[in-house]
Amino acid sequence: MISRSPNIENTGDGPPASDRPVRPALRYRLSWVRAAPLLARHIARTTPWVTLLAGCLAGTGYLSALARFTGGSQPLGQGNVRLAFLPAVAALAFVPRAPFRPLTQTTPVPAWVAPAGQLLLAAPILAATCWAQLRIIAHTIPPHSLGQPPAVYPLVAQLTGWCAVAVAAAACVDRSRYADLGGAIAAPASLAVIALAWYVPASASLLADPPATAHGVTIAWYAVTSAALTLTCAAMRDQWHRYSRSLHRQSSPERAPSTPLRLP
Amino acid sequence: MTAEGGPALPALDAGTAGNHAPAGLAERTRAPRLRTVLALARAEAVLLARSLLVLAGLLAGGAVVWLLIGRTEPLWWNVGWRIGSGQLVLGMAVLAAAQLAAGRARRNAMADLYASFPATAGTRTLAHLAGLAGAAPASLLLIGTAAMAVQIRGAIGAPSTAVLAGGVVLVIAAGAAGTAIGVRFPHPLAGVLGALALFLSSGQAHLPGGAIWLSPWESFSDQLNVLPGPLAGYPPGGAHAAELAGLTVLAGIAALALTVSRAWARGGLAAAGILAMAVTCFAGAVQLRPLPAAELNHLIAEVADPASAQRCTTASQVRYCLYPGFGSLLPSLEAPVDGVLAHLPARPSQPLTVRQAVSIDFTDPSFTDPSLAHGHPQRQVAQWNAQLQKAPGASAAASVIYPVAGSWPAAGAQLADAHFDMALAAAEWAVHLPPTTPAAVLGGQCAPLDQAREAIAIWLAILATHPPAGELQSGLAGPGGDVTPVVVQGVTAVAWTYPGESESYLSSPGPQTTAAGYLLANAMTNLPQQQVAHVLKDAWGRWVDWHTTDAHLAAALGIPMPSVPSLPPGAANAPGPQNPLCTG
Repeated sequence: MISRSPNIENTGDGPPASDRPVRPALRYRLSWVRAAPLLARHIARTTPWVTLLAGCLAGTGYLSALARFTGGSQPLGQGNVRLAFLPAVAALAFVPRAPFRPLTQTTPVPAWVAPAGQLLLAAPILAATCWAQLRIIAHTIPPHSLGQPPAVYPLVAQLTGWCAVAVAAAACVDRSRYADLGGAIAAPASLAVIALAWYVPASASLLADPPATAHGVTIAWYAVTSAALTLTCAAMRDQWHRYSRSLHRQSSPERAPSTPLRLP
Repeated sequence: MTAEGGPALPALDAGTAGNHAPAGLAERTRAPRLRTVLALARAEAVLLARSLLVLAGLLAGGAVVWLLIGRTEPLWWNVGWRIGSGQLVLGMAVLAAAQLAAGRARRNAMADLYASFPATAGTRTLAHLAGLAGAAPASLLLIGTAAMAVQIRGAIGAPSTAVLAGGVVLVIAAGAAGTAIGVRFPHPLAGVLGALALFLSSGQAHLPGGAIWLSPWESFSDQLNVLPGPLAGYPPGGAHAAELAGLTVLAGIAALALTVSRAWARGGLAAAGILAMAVTCFAGAVQLRPLPAAELNHLIAEVADPASAQRCTTASQVRYCLYPGFGSLLPSLEAPVDGVLAHLPARPSQPLTVRQAVSIDFTDPSFTDPSLAHGHPQRQVAQWNAQLQKAPGASAAASVIYPVAGSWPAAGAQLADAHFDMALAAAEWAVHLPPTTPAAVLGGQCAPLDQAREAIAIWLAILATHPPAGELQSGLAGPGGDVTPVVVQGVTAVAWTYPGESESYLSSPGPQTTAAGYLLANAMTNLPQQQVAHVLKDAWGRWVDWHTTDAHLAAALGIPMPSVPSLPPGAANAPGPQNPLCTG
């Protein structure tokens, strides 16, 4: 009995296939870094600016209208800022999106580069929105009012945590079967998580002031931010489906040539 | 091909087919169109009913309803409106789901494909609107579940059909608004923003006077939970349901107007829109009307002179007076009082009365609540305020306990706390501790510092209700975890917060309890009950005298004085409000 190699015979003029496996694509892991500046324009163009600005402006407009009609009789507080920032958080859930992921995963550039870049571009917009809303409520406080206004840093921590939760939800949805809906699922999910964190007594004791202290709220929300960003990084990775020109995978039939093919 | 993208109708060739063809053809085209609408509506209704978003909204709405009514007394005139708050949350989800459905074609870049179908865009929009009936089962399920839960907990009063129906109409109205948004703005963010706008317009509107009822479903500006009975026209359930129905029609008209192009259809929509606007405005005007003066007079009389409206009964020589409909509370009020009476060596000469009261801010008893007294002249309001000054609870009597109507919990740990509060109030009556008027709370409650009768009162309350030891012990620490100081005639002592003290189950709180009194009472519970009863009975008159100290009682019982937690550094000399000493 003649044993035949399962490989086709090289009948052309092409060089014979090497028996050694292809060296790991180390140079491909670093080459995308050189392409990053070229990607910046593409990332900027694919960022959903209209969606993001619509959310930010909707909340800011609501706060402005509230300040105009009620701020004279009743100064606005940080609670109003929390409500006004919700549209921006919802809009943020639509930002991180890896387009054509099955295709981009085959390129040398990791698929997470695009959504990460979009988030970096969105961060200044959100920061500006928060700043504008804080200025609006500051204008409604009478100049000679008694007592100091509450500290802003716990509020900033809380809004940062909200944004991180929205981003994590968006990243997870983008890797799920609902990826085509994207933010339509992530936005309500993140708003629901925020509402739960606010109203459930167990979480409210840590994340809401009162009953928690300002320092405690700040630490808790930054911990939530860290956890959410970790989850985001884990969800954005594409190592599971990374294309690899490993001959080990190609040569898997050579390992067991006598294994019969089983039909279902 | 027609302008709307549908196939050319055979009616365009009717002139060659004879005079009989147009009428018959018109009927035949209406019938398939209606069948198309119904078929599409059925499909959309099933999708909406099965939507995960609607299911999540249903669960969230149920959670909201439980949060709002779980800890309060199950009064139907309050619970019915709170169920509507849960319907609001469900409506937000339905709005988002309807917006996604209506914008599906444009969002998936299939507008041209849909345009090639026989069903026109107007037909599809009509089907979307009719398919909103798929949200009704979720809404009805929410009502049914909440109603069942309330009835199981012993509801007082009867539900208002108009209020409950208004909740269902609210959900449909939210869906119609979502459809209108989705037809114009297919991006999912539009639905989310619409849902947020619905939430903000309902919960955060802070509208003045009767205008609170104009928002889709106000949640925080009413006084329903403190009313001693249903008040006609508060809330205006029927008018509000009519307003929501008008808004539903207007939203549907807006959605159709964006998708139909025929002149006669647009004309019909305009006429319907005018009619719907008229109905909505009329319903709004009805809601803005002030409440009838006769109703408010009756309410003020019930509050200021409850004896004129309450029904009283006597049990174990204690008189219980409750508003009509609250009779089911009687066993819950009797239990802690009887528990205290069972261990009393002797009763005071003045009998105890338990009389329900309405929660009013007696430091400023005013009836200027915008949602109740709007539209009435200031002179009338001033008269009502003068009447409220005489309400029981404003000047607390030593032998009367005032449980607050609408605040008595139905079950759970809150009910246990309420029982302890009632038992402690009864025990304080038994040992002649003076009550504190609500107005005096601002100036500082009196404190029975180093008085044996305080420890005896707490001991009686513990025996009557058996609260968890951990909950009693936790009263030694204040909100920040440290002990709370209380200054009595220049002497700084450690305060003790009893279970339920901050919940206002009773209208007039008792004296400020101290840690020393609680710790001695706790030590007394570790002794044989007969031994303590014997010591108290032998010299009851001496123990209830305010001159008798904790040390005297501890010596008589043969136990050492418990050590009191130390105050934080600097607290002993820190300036603060002074509490008077309880005497008499």
